[in-house]
Amino acid sequence: MSPSDTDPKLLVHAYVDGELDPAHALEVERMLADDPALAAERERVEALRGAIRERLPREQASPELARRIATAVGMRSTAAQPPSRLAARPSWRALAASVVVAALVASGATWFVGEGGGTSATADMVVASHMRALMAPASIDVASSDRHTVKPWFNGRIPEAPRVVDLAAEGFPLVGGRVDVIGRAPVATLVYRHRQHLISLSAVAGGRALPSGRAQIAGYNVLSWSDDGVAYWVVSDLALGDLETFAKAFRTAGG
Amino acid sequence: MGSLGSEDDQARFASVVLPHLADAYALARWLTGDRADAEDVVQEACLRAFRGIGGFAGVNARAWVLTIVRHAAYAWLGKNRSAALVMVDDLEAVEQQQASGAPDSGPQTPEAALIAKADAARLEAAIAELPLPFRETLVLRDVQGLDYREIAEVTKVPIGTVMSRLARARRRLIERVGIDEPAHAPGSAPVDEARNEPRKVPGNHP
Repeated sequence: MSPSDTDPKLLVHAYVDGELDPAHALEVERMLADDPALAAERERVEALRGAIRERLPREQASPELARRIATAVGMRSTAAQPPSRLAARPSWRALAASVVVAALVASGATWFVGEGGGTSATADMVVASHMRALMAPASIDVASSDRHTVKPWFNGRIPEAPRVVDLAAEGFPLVGGRVDVIGRAPVATLVYRHRQHLISLSAVAGGRALPSGRAQIAGYNVLSWSDDGVAYWVVSDLALGDLETFAKAFRTAGG
Repeated sequence: MGSLGSEDDQARFASVVLPHLADAYALARWLTGDRADAEDVVQEACLRAFRGIGGFAGVNARAWVLTIVRHAAYAWLGKNRSAALVMVDDLEAVEQQQASGAPDSGPQTPEAALIAKADAARLEAAIAELPLPFRETLVLRDVQGLDYREIAEVTKVPIGTVMSRLARARRRLIERVGIDEPAHAPGSAPVDEARNEPRKVPGNHP
């Protein structure tokens, strides 16, 4: 489908949604510049998207639901466990993570296009950590949208506190942080939110990023890059375009 | 109940389905319009997903789970609210007619600033009132963040249909939430414009 034979108003939606390739996006940008009515429509669509993202109430399922489902499929799952106390956490977490990793390996749900061994193992581990965090009673160890609270929290837990930036203005508010274990080393992971989706960002000092910069594992998008001797790993079920927007905002933010 | 599936299936279910429980619930909630009904639908969908876990190809777990939730929701609606589904068939016909005959500009073209300030309750009500095919498309994109290809996969329609439904859904919401007062007095929108709208829109008065 080429822009020239499609209703310009439909293309504005596709443009706002990041669904156009660069050449077609450029064409739409030209149409927007030439047509004030079309530009006004684009503003309205973006305002609507913003209102839905920022204002629409998010209703959570009752905690009972996960228990009901675990019972229905006959499992004594992690979801059915009562929230564990902090002291009891490490062993439980290690167990949960190992179950997830085993499931990933066994299911064959993991694949890469032309990746070497070392970084793809890291990719598996960051995805497993993200999944485990989503299943845990709390997906974060320190809950705060204030980077001046989150950054100091890592002091003493890992050798070097990570770079923490506030991306609320870009639509990615900080939710908190946690410590993951990648390989055998504790690693700082920041958790951001976009709509109701969580984004885990792990900073691995001295680590290597994926050569291709991206992967898809078990339905999760993974982005990775190196910056100043730190390998950054981003995991989320967000659409790839939105996740790339997040990665770009993180890379370019000061702080 | 322990004999329902192997431990392998359970591990797979835990890694494939459970991470998407919140999305599953949100979609069911928007489709059924009710908390308790949504939880019943999600439970039914999870049972189906668990039984079918061996058939999951391992590509996109979230789209797979949401497809099953949508099926379960439609089955539930068919059983409990068949009227909602009858409307869907009619709508397809209406959709075709309107596509050719609709006037270029809608009755309301509110300013972006008004839309951005839309009242949360009104926004929610406006989405809830959308016809089912528009509602699910909008929810999958703007609430759940799926891309067009995933929405096409979940709702089983071509991408072009996804695009036109999404555009229509947003158009309706813009017309509904952008107006300042629930009262339909013709003067209500200009009053608000005068209050916080320094620009004058050229060509607004024929």
